[in-house]
Amino acid sequence: MNGGGKIALYLGLAVAALLVPQVPFLQPYLIQFAFLWVMILFAMTWDVMGGQMGYNSFGNIVFFGVGMYATAVVQRDLYFTVEEYANVAGGEQAALTPAEYLTGLALGMGIGGMLAVLIAAVLGSGILGLRGHYFAICTLGLGIAAGELASGWDYIGAGSGLVTPLLPDALGERGPFFYYVFLVLAVITFLVLKRLYAGQFGLAINAIRDDEDKADALGLHATRYKTVAWCVSGFFLALAGGVFGNLVIFIDPTDVAFAGPTFGVWMVLMAILGGKGTLWGPVIGATVFHLTQEFFWTYLFGWQRVALGLLIVVVVVFFPLGIVGWLRERWPQRFGEMVDEDARRVQVSLEGER
Amino acid sequence: MYRYLKSAFVALPSAALAMSLFGTAQAKVEGDTIVLGAALSFTGKYKTNGKHTKNGYELAVKRVNEMGGVKVGGKNYELKVVYYDDESTPARGAQLVERLIKQDGIQFMLGPYSSGLTKAMAPVTEKYKIPMVEGNGASRSLFNKGYKYLFAVLSTSEQYLAEAINLAAEQAKAAGKDPGTLKLALAVENDPFSQDIRAGVLDDAKKHGMKVVIDDKLPKELNDMTVTLTKVKALKPDVLVVSGHSKGAATAVRQMMEQKVEVPMFAITHCEAADVVGKFGPGADYTLCATQWAETMTYEDDYFGSASDYAKLFEKEYGYVPPYQAAESTASVLVWVDALQRASSFDTAKLRDALSATDMRTFYGNVKFDETGKNIAKPMVLRQIQGGQYKVVAPTKWASDKLVHPRPKWSER
Repeated sequence: MNGGGKIALYLGLAVAALLVPQVPFLQPYLIQFAFLWVMILFAMTWDVMGGQMGYNSFGNIVFFGVGMYATAVVQRDLYFTVEEYANVAGGEQAALTPAEYLTGLALGMGIGGMLAVLIAAVLGSGILGLRGHYFAICTLGLGIAAGELASGWDYIGAGSGLVTPLLPDALGERGPFFYYVFLVLAVITFLVLKRLYAGQFGLAINAIRDDEDKADALGLHATRYKTVAWCVSGFFLALAGGVFGNLVIFIDPTDVAFAGPTFGVWMVLMAILGGKGTLWGPVIGATVFHLTQEFFWTYLFGWQRVALGLLIVVVVVFFPLGIVGWLRERWPQRFGEMVDEDARRVQVSLEGER
Repeated sequence: MYRYLKSAFVALPSAALAMSLFGTAQAKVEGDTIVLGAALSFTGKYKTNGKHTKNGYELAVKRVNEMGGVKVGGKNYELKVVYYDDESTPARGAQLVERLIKQDGIQFMLGPYSSGLTKAMAPVTEKYKIPMVEGNGASRSLFNKGYKYLFAVLSTSEQYLAEAINLAAEQAKAAGKDPGTLKLALAVENDPFSQDIRAGVLDDAKKHGMKVVIDDKLPKELNDMTVTLTKVKALKPDVLVVSGHSKGAATAVRQMMEQKVEVPMFAITHCEAADVVGKFGPGADYTLCATQWAETMTYEDDYFGSASDYAKLFEKEYGYVPPYQAAESTASVLVWVDALQRASSFDTAKLRDALSATDMRTFYGNVKFDETGKNIAKPMVLRQIQGGQYKVVAPTKWASDKLVHPRPKWSER
């Protein structure tokens, strides 16, 4: 595909995404669409580590939860004392003006993002020396530990959870508001990742995935790149978490914030389903996963988890490379080009040299 | 050109699939059916109680429809409930409440199971001004927010086990002891409902000057509390209070029995929902159980007759004795029926006013809401398991049997 076609495609997608809230029959589904953007964010941020760099992290949910709690706490502490807020949260007396709400949200997300970067940097320098399964297992523990810590910390509500400020009426309905916020967040994340993958950073983390020892031997500061990759992933995840807390209203430490068994696993599944290590794979994987899940929830009531489990088995057995990987393998000329031209060129030229 | 037209497959699923996957929005009243909506926990950690809640709703719907339905504006309507599975997580609950309101057009909401889920949903129903009648969100933090559209038929959670503390104090006085010398042990799940129970118990313990010797937070999905019980063995408290939904109840009773823990008074919540008598037989004896409702109480109404008639009908239908979670769910539907008939309208503002003016008798107890939306016309009762039977022992007004205190030692049973 030429440059013009690509721009047309991106523009078309952008217009379609912007128009969704304007279509009358889609109006009632906006919250689900907002969740779709969250799912896409999950998959994209996970893929930085798991796909592009080959480090399967099961602990990314930590950043999501940290961002969520940080944002909610900032929103609370800007305008209330802890005791005061505990008595009014979720009700009319806790209503904020639009300016207060947006200030709290923006500031909270900023702090949440920075906190996540800090945590990723500190943890990363410690455990990114681990490789393969060891790293995966270590990160698995992180999510659980974070959930337990949050459950015991009274300042953030402990096991009783934390109610986030409600969206002021002046900012419109919940549906369009959260739809647009998550849309913007997802698009920014996508563009930043696209830019990063296209440059030296992308090549470096791909090199780490393909052969870390060789990359190291060639003078690449592997641990540094790995840590930066995790910081990038954690930063965007924390921003998503910050808004997500406001969307769900009630932050439960283990079921919403550090929800390893659901979101933490889904982000891996979605990236694998779509095709890990590709730019569009996580986006497509998350879309298919979310829609399938909604479908199962509606029509296979009570069996939705079983159906989802079967779907995962089918995907892993028949499409080990994910949707994009499978399509690319089948129609390399068509899909390699359309989905990610640069990555394909690199791949093709490498194969030519062999 | 056609190449990247084809690639529109990226964008299209969102619109096309969404349309075909989800039905179109239904009206709140379809023909001669009034549609209520509920998101319940059919899977996940609350699935046992989610089932009780659903059975409670369904039995009410069945009975009301059998008896001619609901009369609104001179016409008889049947009831129907639309359900979704919230998987016991607020993340899902928040999506579903929007879905019920925006996609299914539900204007009459029934509550979910658990305080956490209710906390996530109540601000949304409040925002859309959709009345919600619930029987399973007992946390008192739900009722200090000025919610105008939330109505709860149950007693709030701080009342659950407070009575046990008073009972312990009474027993101490009767034995010529100062209640202030009593030692109290608490092991409470780390969730909104159970933490509220803890707050209520601590308030009452403070009133009597009791000393808290153990105050443990238990994890969710509670399967083992050996650590707490070991401490109990060492510190020998006079009262042990445990709360952690059905799993907590089953774990506590099982491990008390297995580890032969001796404590004069042992009070828990969710005995009935966890079916501790069926599971552990004599091992469950002498446990004190907080209950919102008991089938031996003398309430009655036109739909179900007496409380024990309700219990019989429920058991015939579903094959087990109804725990109070089912009864309070049934009562929630009856409150809706009463409000719909009194308002004689489907206007949610009128219905809200009708709901807040509720003053009725049901098999579950009297229902009358205060301005915060909680039921103030019905007490909590405390039952003790004696010989495999639940006997009401407190408060005195409802007591059918005398409390066995202290619990007999395991070796003497």
